[in-house]
Amino acid sequence: MGDEVIRLDAVWKIFGSRATEAMAAIQQDNLSKAEVLEQFQCVVGVADCSFSIEKGEIFCVMGLSGSGKSTMVRHLNRLIEPTSGSLSVLGRDMLGLNPEELREMRARHIGMVFQHMALLPHRTVRDNVAFPLQVRGEPKSQRWEVSQRCLNLVNLDGYEDRFPRELSGGMQQRVGLARALASDPEVLLMDEPFSALDPLIRRQLQDQFMALSADMQKTTVFITHDLDEAIRIGNRIAIMKDGRVVQIGTPEDIVTKPADDYVKDFVEGISRLKLVFAHTIMVPLDEYDGPSLDGAPKASHGADLDSLIDISTGTDAPIVIQDDDGNDVGVIDKGTLLKGIQGGKA
Amino acid sequence: MSTETGFDPGPKALDSSVSQFVGQNADYYAREFEKIQGATGFVVSWNSMAAVAGPLWGAARGAWGFFWTFLVVELFALVQLGRGLWGELGADQIARYERLLANIAKREKQAAEVAATDPAAAESALRIADNLKRVAARAKEQADAAAGEATEILLIGIGLLIFVKLIEGLYANLAYEKQYLRWRGRPSIPSGYKPNNIGFGAILMVAIWPLTLFRFTVTDPDKLLAGLTGGFLGKTVPITDFPVQKEFFASWAKKGDAAFDWLSTNFGDVFNGVTAGIRAILDGLEIVLIDTPWPVVMVVLVVMAFRLAGLRVAIFTAASLIYLAMMGLWKISMITVALIGTGAALCVVIGIPLGIWFGKSRRAYAFAEPVLDFMQTMPAFVYLIPIIAFFGTGKPPGVLATIIFAMPPVIRLTALGMRGVPETTKEAAVAFGCSKYQLLMNVEIPLAMPSIMTGINQTILMSLSMVVIASLIGAEGLGALILEALQYAAKGQGLLGGLAILFCAMVIDRIAQGMYRRKMES
Repeated sequence: MGDEVIRLDAVWKIFGSRATEAMAAIQQDNLSKAEVLEQFQCVVGVADCSFSIEKGEIFCVMGLSGSGKSTMVRHLNRLIEPTSGSLSVLGRDMLGLNPEELREMRARHIGMVFQHMALLPHRTVRDNVAFPLQVRGEPKSQRWEVSQRCLNLVNLDGYEDRFPRELSGGMQQRVGLARALASDPEVLLMDEPFSALDPLIRRQLQDQFMALSADMQKTTVFITHDLDEAIRIGNRIAIMKDGRVVQIGTPEDIVTKPADDYVKDFVEGISRLKLVFAHTIMVPLDEYDGPSLDGAPKASHGADLDSLIDISTGTDAPIVIQDDDGNDVGVIDKGTLLKGIQGGKA
Repeated sequence: MSTETGFDPGPKALDSSVSQFVGQNADYYAREFEKIQGATGFVVSWNSMAAVAGPLWGAARGAWGFFWTFLVVELFALVQLGRGLWGELGADQIARYERLLANIAKREKQAAEVAATDPAAAESALRIADNLKRVAARAKEQADAAAGEATEILLIGIGLLIFVKLIEGLYANLAYEKQYLRWRGRPSIPSGYKPNNIGFGAILMVAIWPLTLFRFTVTDPDKLLAGLTGGFLGKTVPITDFPVQKEFFASWAKKGDAAFDWLSTNFGDVFNGVTAGIRAILDGLEIVLIDTPWPVVMVVLVVMAFRLAGLRVAIFTAASLIYLAMMGLWKISMITVALIGTGAALCVVIGIPLGIWFGKSRRAYAFAEPVLDFMQTMPAFVYLIPIIAFFGTGKPPGVLATIIFAMPPVIRLTALGMRGVPETTKEAAVAFGCSKYQLLMNVEIPLAMPSIMTGINQTILMSLSMVVIASLIGAEGLGALILEALQYAAKGQGLLGGLAILFCAMVIDRIAQGMYRRKMES
């Protein structure tokens, strides 16, 4: 995909009046979250977070409430200051910025969408979307032109002169998205943008967002507590627990190779049909000792379980799996396929 | 059995939590509590210990409400008992009787002395003595009657004490069961049987009962005490009056006078400057309202009401103005409006920035709050005195008094509005690169506006209520009219003047509110 846009290095956030003391104690004695609370009355929000995100990637951060995911994402535009560690966005060291530069960074390069929309109730939809540009000091005509364009992007043309309270929750969140897009930032931070919406609207907005992001190729950090959503949207997923990142990987990695029991519990209910691919479950050709493969159907090693089922129902023979160059590399018979669907219980 | 949480619904666990709560006598209390909890209406649950020991039972059980209530009630019954047993009932009548007897003796002696020389004078003295004897007899009768009441009071006292004991015995378990229920939710509530508390309760009783009993059953307790202690208690340290007269008060009042004098001589220029500033605003407003021909002012006001607040307010404004004009109150009404206008405008100009500051800084608000309370609750007369000392009399000091009284609402409500701005909205604005100033102007003030407008509204109405008080220090206007009516008990004048103030207030308020509503709708 290209170069690195966001990088976090050993970022810690500890809340409480004795945060620095607690930090020192943690680095020295490797205290647990509970011990820190006990000894210093400090709460560990984010613990030792390190990862990097590449340009154009949609990076989902998944975790239950209290896992520190919202705290973590607020470090990226320094709404929250880390207790220790370093982070850079677009190649700039965020912690070294002075207030002026920080505001500039927020106004031009990092857009954000909030769970509770946080629109300004006394402004029209147009002026809400134009707000980041107004902060930057752009003239009215330009603000409104951009605002119009962004509202078109989220299919809200015709609502420019309404007030937020006149719009439904889903529409309000689309205004929030348009506002984040208005300053044409390279990085989009989305803090549980669809969590407060009902399931049908959520799905619609997810689709709309995915279409938009395929178009615009913005580097996105997407916070969610819903693994289904993370799998649908994310190129990569980070799973957080108690402020720590437990696992980072592609949706397939997470589903097929959960790092620990915690992740495993999450993954249990997820449908594997579109996430697990032929090469993960196939039996290599040289280990195969079943019936003859003459006339067997062939499939690519990147085919997902869903398509393998379609092929398998039309024949009694096993399926031969080919690599990108068309060489036969493995075999999947019905038993293997069923085990693959079932997952993990080999 | 999880007795630690106390929420286990099982009957056994309940029992054990009761025994954990009461400590001693667990079986008895478990039984009684069960009875109370099983009853729907009034339930008889007798506690002999509570009836006998009274407040001390409450102390031992940590039921301090019970302790204090029955400490006082029992004391009342005991005072009745004491009055019946040893109280000198009718003592004042006996004293009078003795005075009269002395007087009679004096008259009779006089009569005997002058009997030989001046029979007429002797007869007159004897007649007076006779009259006095009749009065003395009546006094003796009353004294005897009062003494006869002693048995009655004694009986009442005994009856009362028995009644109180009955109540104690019947009420104790009910109160204790309530305490138990509260203890289950909050283990910090006193529980168990605490012998130490009995000692503490007894000390309190010893401190309270004897002195009170003594005070209410003895005729002149100070004299008796002085006799007993050789004049120390009773005379030097009286028990009926706090042993301090006005010696501290006088010296501190004098210091206060000196401080005010010092301030007014050393900061005279500052005070004069303030007065001049206020007068400038007042003069400007008065020129606009009074020197402009009345038809112009009327038309402008009505049109303004119509444009800003709609037809209904315009009609009301026109009617009010006609009332003021027809009653011949036009000029003094305009003086009043100028006074209020100046006061309210200054309140808003000073109050809103202060409110914004207090809304943002908790610490500043903590310091300001007592000052605001002072401004609102201190009677106006208290600060009228220094205002006269510093600023003299007339309209500008009147405006100042108005500001002191009327500014707190706008400060408070502005601060409230600022604190009510949702954190999430502020966070979003910051995330888009707002500076502090942009945040204030684009987010915080607009979102706090409804609250700020309520504050302005309150301030205007409170300014109006200060009009009469401001007239006390020489501010002219409708207030002076009412003050005059008060001095001469002119009821009609007072009513008409009061109505004029009411109309001024309503017109200003309705226009201001209509203006805001219009702005919100656009």
